[in-house]
Amino acid sequence: MDRTLTNFIRALRNSEVRISTAETLDAFNAVELVGYEDRAFLKRTLSLVLPKTADEKETFDNCFDQFFSFEDVRGERGARGGNGEGDDASADADEGGEGEGGGAGGETQPGERAAKGKSKAKKKKKKGGFDEEAEEEEDLGPGEMSEAASDLGKLLMGDSRVELSMAMAAAGEAVDVRSIQVFTQKGLYTRKVMEEMGLGGLNREIGELKEARRVPERRLGQELTRRRDWLREQVRDYVEKQFLLHADATGKRLREELLRKVKLSNVEHRSFRLIQEIVFKMAKKLAALHSRRKKVFKRGALNVPRTLRHNMAYDGAIFDLHWKSVKVDRPKVFAICDVSGSVANYARFMLMFLYSLEEVMPKVRSFAFSSDLAEVTDLFERNHIEEAISKTLRDYSGGSTDYGQAFVDFKKCCLDDVDNRTTIIILGDARNNYGDPRTDVLKEMYDRCKRLIWLNPEPRNSWNVGDSEMRKYMAYSHQVDECNSLMHLERVVGNLLRTVN
Amino acid sequence: MGKKHLAAPKTKTGKSASSTQKEKIDKIVASVETLKADFEDHRYICSDQIATAVYLAYHLRKPILIEGPPGVGKTELAKTTAEMFELPLIRLQCYEGLDEAKAIYEWKYGKQLLYTQVLKETLDEVLQGARGFAESVNRLHEFGDIFFSEEFLEPRPLLKALKEEQGCVLLIDEVDKSDHEFESLLLEMLSDFQVSIPEIGTVKAAAEPPMVFLTSNNTREISDALKRRCLHLYIPFPDVELEQRIIHARVPEIPPNLQKQLVNFIQQLRDMDLKKVPAISETIDWARTLVLLHSERLDPQLVRDTLNVILKFQEDIENVDAEITTLTSNALK
Repeated sequence: MDRTLTNFIRALRNSEVRISTAETLDAFNAVELVGYEDRAFLKRTLSLVLPKTADEKETFDNCFDQFFSFEDVRGERGARGGNGEGDDASADADEGGEGEGGGAGGETQPGERAAKGKSKAKKKKKKGGFDEEAEEEEDLGPGEMSEAASDLGKLLMGDSRVELSMAMAAAGEAVDVRSIQVFTQKGLYTRKVMEEMGLGGLNREIGELKEARRVPERRLGQELTRRRDWLREQVRDYVEKQFLLHADATGKRLREELLRKVKLSNVEHRSFRLIQEIVFKMAKKLAALHSRRKKVFKRGALNVPRTLRHNMAYDGAIFDLHWKSVKVDRPKVFAICDVSGSVANYARFMLMFLYSLEEVMPKVRSFAFSSDLAEVTDLFERNHIEEAISKTLRDYSGGSTDYGQAFVDFKKCCLDDVDNRTTIIILGDARNNYGDPRTDVLKEMYDRCKRLIWLNPEPRNSWNVGDSEMRKYMAYSHQVDECNSLMHLERVVGNLLRTVN
Repeated sequence: MGKKHLAAPKTKTGKSASSTQKEKIDKIVASVETLKADFEDHRYICSDQIATAVYLAYHLRKPILIEGPPGVGKTELAKTTAEMFELPLIRLQCYEGLDEAKAIYEWKYGKQLLYTQVLKETLDEVLQGARGFAESVNRLHEFGDIFFSEEFLEPRPLLKALKEEQGCVLLIDEVDKSDHEFESLLLEMLSDFQVSIPEIGTVKAAAEPPMVFLTSNNTREISDALKRRCLHLYIPFPDVELEQRIIHARVPEIPPNLQKQLVNFIQQLRDMDLKKVPAISETIDWARTLVLLHSERLDPQLVRDTLNVILKFQEDIENVDAEITTLTSNALK
């Protein structure tokens, strides 16, 4: 089986391109058809089979370039020619996992290739400048060298990059380099791979050679030291690549998992980007789940015109009955957000969430207040989500919170637009600075709308403590929820789409 | 009831004819390069990506799902392929409410009713001598389900495509406009080239399965199940060089100077924040307009007068109008 391809697909999955088994099989068929010879062609082919959205295609492009980064090497080799290596390379490119590396060969193709590329450049220099370098270190001069004894030594002196990288791949497989998780492990794995390849034996040999009396042996020792250092660099490169391809995503997933649960007010600024990604991802999931517009059939209510039309074909005999149905409306959401300092972060992410759901909730109107309330829907229509949010926070977050005033403003500005299909979401901690809570206005809103949901970022046990008016407001809400992490948000919005429908 | 001879033999075209056609197609899709050249002969300038998609679709027998902004030649690709392979093009335009009766098959109810009326009299003959109810029913059974045979089946695009002996090009246009239910209906067709009709059984594709193109404008996300069964081709707006070649192929009479300026201008518009940026079809329209007006080069006044050819929203026209002079001078460079 072609390990190169499965490994590539694994790397793709790690970068969050969703690939099913069926698509993997398709990829195999396609590759069988086009072969590995023409890299651009292969890329075009796979990009038709594997990624299925424009975003995924972009990820695919990057991933492909990173994974199959050997083309340049081969080009160079072709230019140099007559080396006998071009054949080796294409042969094992075609056959993936075969060869000395056994189960491991395919896995590390890209690493090998890169390593080879560098080795080429290095060796070239080495060969050219061999004389002076050697003389600088210890005056041994060019000449005969004795044979290396240890396995790795032989391999290093053998000048066969293919075998060397095969060995590196096999070692990588043996120490399970793919399970690398965080970047701090890179040093560890580099050492592990080196040891697996027989570093111990080599070091011992070098030590012995240094002590040796004969010049050719000392010369060999020197050369081996140099080649060992070079090898270490190669292995480090190789591990680094494996890390980028295999580990990056797991680390990220871990962080994402954490961020979902963390309190939104504690999110550090540098994590905002990641949070945003998560929000979009969650929103996409919800949107996909609810993108289908449901119909409710009214059992027993005949849709007469439709039935008549459909039964004309039966000579007017009515036996194919059609019932009246109602398309379930998408929720019409009014989001009222407290954007004063303490709650601003929650408002940020909730708005982000609501607006990322545009596809399934096209009718979101949003209002922001700290003391006075104003509609910010326009901002979101005209600007990109992030920009709109930061503008909202900038313009409205000053001033001390006054829920009473905000409700009065809301009444003035658009209570008339609230109808029995509207859901009002209020996000706030209900801390009114001991002002008039104006529950009468909230009651009016409550009576008019279909559903009033109050989301409070504070934990339940601190509600009603101090200047919190939560108890009074609770009486006029259909649903009260604690909401302070992405998980809560997802649940609330998910419910909104499910039940309000 | 069963008097009428219903086994309608299919008109079979000579085997040699079909094999030569097959050879011809094989020659065209021998490699991506030949395919590309042939597309060019049919005045469809395509990128390597597009040619690769058709190449794979043919060899792997997979449908292609084409996405991209409107007007980049998604539908055109299917049409040109049909033309190039000299296969019939069967088109199914999707819309909300499209169902199997309109996409796969329908019974010819009228014909069925008419025939029952006409055959009522012959019923006596058939049943003559039959003793008892059981025997009559048995006799009727001997005639099989004649009224639910292919004779009374009205094939709709999907079924029609399966029945084409020589193969055909099936274009399922704007699949994103259809309902979710319809998408599921397509799955059997796309993965196995067959449809199931309860009364008859499963209808499989003729020797040559159709080449299927699906297009989508991405008004909604297509389900994963459908995507999984297709090759996914995304056609973006073309770059300068490709667009110039397209214009050259489609409007050969345009002066080369003007062609360059026009493409430059359009490319600039695509970078602007517009409600609807001009696509290739608009560029071609504009090129034709300018040729018609015998213009040799772009100038601000000319652009202003013909702006409504490429921009379809008043708001966009106003936005661009303000910057016409700079845009034009940039395009002339």
